[in-house]
Amino acid sequence: MSKLRKSSADSKWCRFVNWVNGTVEENKKEESAKDQISVEEVAATVEKQSSLIDKVGNLEGETALNQRLDQFQEKGMRFFHGSNKVMSVMICLIVVGVLLYTVSFLPEFGDASSPINNEVSERYITKGIQETGAVNIVTGMILDYRAFDTFGESHVLYVAACVVLILLRLDVKSKAAKKDENDELSVEESEANDRIYEPKNDVILQKVATCLVPPIMIFGIYVILNGHLSPGGGFSGGAIIGAGLILYLNAFGFKKTGRFFTMNTFKTVTFLSLVGYAMSKSYSFFTGANHIHSIIPLGTPGDILSSGLILPLNIFVGLVVACTMYGFYALFRKGGM
Amino acid sequence: MAEWIRYVVASIFIIGGVSIAGIATFGVFRFKNALNRMHAAAMIDTLAILLALVGLMFLGDVFSTTQETIFFILKLVLVIVFLWFASPVASHLISRLEVTTNENLEEECEVEK
Repeated sequence: MSKLRKSSADSKWCRFVNWVNGTVEENKKEESAKDQISVEEVAATVEKQSSLIDKVGNLEGETALNQRLDQFQEKGMRFFHGSNKVMSVMICLIVVGVLLYTVSFLPEFGDASSPINNEVSERYITKGIQETGAVNIVTGMILDYRAFDTFGESHVLYVAACVVLILLRLDVKSKAAKKDENDELSVEESEANDRIYEPKNDVILQKVATCLVPPIMIFGIYVILNGHLSPGGGFSGGAIIGAGLILYLNAFGFKKTGRFFTMNTFKTVTFLSLVGYAMSKSYSFFTGANHIHSIIPLGTPGDILSSGLILPLNIFVGLVVACTMYGFYALFRKGGM
Repeated sequence: MAEWIRYVVASIFIIGGVSIAGIATFGVFRFKNALNRMHAAAMIDTLAILLALVGLMFLGDVFSTTQETIFFILKLVLVIVFLWFASPVASHLISRLEVTTNENLEEECEVEK
């Protein structure tokens, strides 16, 4: 089709061609249909206006009521905002007063007769190695005297990982697009996805990661297993192992880590470690933390296989911490594992 | 007399490392562009930490052959090796991100993409 001027549609020749082709009648039909629709709309608007005219008598009474209601609402909002400030300040002052009043009943700092400086620390220092069997007294406190606290802390990590899963999990539609990471995404998706601009398959990082990841893992396992002999334990060793996993992920991407660490392994490892912790320590929880002598002998302090249940508890806590660290990083970066 | 020489050498090393770290922090805040700042910051965890840890080795009695001091020095050598592996790679990744994401890079400094 050649380009036509705008005036060509109004020319006689164009009208003649349209009449020959029979398109004039269709245009007329369409126009007539449009006219009918417009007539119906006019009728509807006339009916609406007539109904509005009937309602005007009632509206005059309602407007006064509405004005009074608006004034009442404005007054109420002003009163609410003013009282809210006053009440918040009052509540803060009352809480501060109550806390200071309770502080006045506490023993003075450095008081020799208070149990903090007297009984508890002395019991830990003098009888800690005998009762727990751990050379590292801090680990003996954390995993033997106060094992219930550590149980709650590991559950806090697990619950935090579950909440991040709920909030940051991506949609099912984007998962289908991410199955083929080699395929180039569309322009809109790449603009919405900042990870496109990340450097991928960096050769220097890959070569360094092959050298650094195995020593990091071995050092983390060493820290976990020597938790009762030297400074360290489940939390710090698990953090080291999680850092090694994150380095491996940064170097080689999600395809290689998906071979050994997926969502299912995350769930099973965390759940089984928490269940193992609960099963191994529940006897003392249910007896009100009365120290029943455990079936496992304490052994000689200083050996690796000593101090009863502290070594398996360290392993459980370390597994939970490593899984939550890697899971946080993977969820924040990808929205999945 | 030998201990005094050890202390003097260790203090020279440690003071040198701390002064280099201070100069690098001045560079981090004084330069304008991200690449120059990153280059100044990468000085700290290579040269400054190397000098400080060598000074700590001298404080830990390098010339004695007891087991504890040998393990102490070996741990410090491992720390140096790990940092010299990790920190240049980290600065390399940061610079690569800067080169790929900065639109006005050719105005700031001439870098061949």
